[in-house]
Amino acid sequence: MRIIVQNAKCQGHARCAAHAPHIFKLDDAGYILPGNIQVVEGEELTASRGVRSCPERALEIDGEPSSTG
Amino acid sequence: MAKNPVPDHVPPEMVRDFSLFTSPGMSPTPNGDPHAAVACVHAGPPIFYSPLNTRDGRGTWVITRASDQRRVLQDTETFSSHRNIFASALGESWPMIPLELDPPSHGAFRSLLNPLLSPKRVSVLEPAVRERAIRLIDGIAASGTSCDVMKDFAFPFTVHIFLHLLGLPDDRIDTFVGWARDLLHGDDTKRPPAARTIVSFIDELAAARREDLVDDFMTFIVQAQVEGRRLTKQEVRGVGVLVFVAGLDTVAAAIGFDLAYLARNLKDQELLRSEPNRIVLAAEELLRAYPTVQLIRVATKDIDFEGAPIRKGDYVSCATMIANRDPTEFECPNTVDLAREDNRHATFGYGPHRCLGSHLARREIVIGLEEWLSRIPAFRIKNGTAPITSGGHVFGIENLILDWS
Repeated sequence: MRIIVQNAKCQGHARCAAHAPHIFKLDDAGYILPGNIQVVEGEELTASRGVRSCPERALEIDGEPSSTG
Repeated sequence: MAKNPVPDHVPPEMVRDFSLFTSPGMSPTPNGDPHAAVACVHAGPPIFYSPLNTRDGRGTWVITRASDQRRVLQDTETFSSHRNIFASALGESWPMIPLELDPPSHGAFRSLLNPLLSPKRVSVLEPAVRERAIRLIDGIAASGTSCDVMKDFAFPFTVHIFLHLLGLPDDRIDTFVGWARDLLHGDDTKRPPAARTIVSFIDELAAARREDLVDDFMTFIVQAQVEGRRLTKQEVRGVGVLVFVAGLDTVAAAIGFDLAYLARNLKDQELLRSEPNRIVLAAEELLRAYPTVQLIRVATKDIDFEGAPIRKGDYVSCATMIANRDPTEFECPNTVDLAREDNRHATFGYGPHRCLGSHLARREIVIGLEEWLSRIPAFRIKNGTAPITSGGHVFGIENLILDWS
């Protein structure tokens, strides 16, 4: 599973990192680091919780239709 | 409150009788539920015009869908945050910073302040926050089986942390809370003097720190650089006033609404008490259900938005309490479900102006609930008392008397 990160949309809510700090890594100001994320096997559920927690819709699971709005 | 006429460009059929200040349940109400009271807008259109939806009596467009609020708050070119809301109460014009600056100038100040309240920094502050909660709650538990939780816990807890952050002595808590109350909840005779007092206080504090550097927030601000230069006196004031106003009563109100909910829902209270690891997720649901602020933007150009003719200069309201009860965004939005997972609430806003203090606010709420539930047995609203809720620019709750006898 791969997570597409749209850095331009990240506003530093840090809710993804609250679910899984080892998957969603933040810079010193609290915004997600650039680059898409390859999720290792067994971490899919936690990762998808992190994706689904982003208020800005900055995260997307590769292959899923992007959420509207 | 003087009422301004509906502008000519607003079609009469788009006007609704609705206001966060004057609608039923918005003035101080015993046992009120202002969040539920505003959720009624979801039975109507996605956008409408409300003639009396600001403190100064101006009307706003009201955006009811969470997805449309995201569009507005993420589009800072069309919807500006530059309102001079505080300064205009004094007949002046200067922005609270960074809230009332738009990108790109917003970015430099935001980058300056973000590290002070980042998740990493907040984790450093956490032990002091927890120690303060424990000290207050132990004192309450030792002195009886009931308390006024706003006066005895929520305000002293959150305001102390905020004063500590600013480097101010906490023996002035009552004074500062009084200023904030007059400013945010007072009438037209109380607001301007409160605003004036806060400005003078911030200006004097900044001047003192320029003279004598200490290790605190205001010293950091007067020494800081943006774009290779020191901040002007007005910029220092703009930052100081915003931090002062934003930090004084929002988190206390959130904790109050949360404890009022738990006092009325003993099963949920017991669930969190017996399984405290659920509190982090539950706190997000309580944040969704009981947010405290209305965000307002100003249109920078004419735009047709979901059928509404928004014109340059119009106010556009994104009330977090409305977005958070949007049935197209949340299943059963008016039900508090402490195990809710899909919970991308709007409580801290969307877009570049996302609440700078959100990480600290979250930790204060979680720690406050953790320590309260572990130290105070099953509590209810004291018989014969009624908490008083209010709507307005910042939703609030007072006279919340909890009893565990």
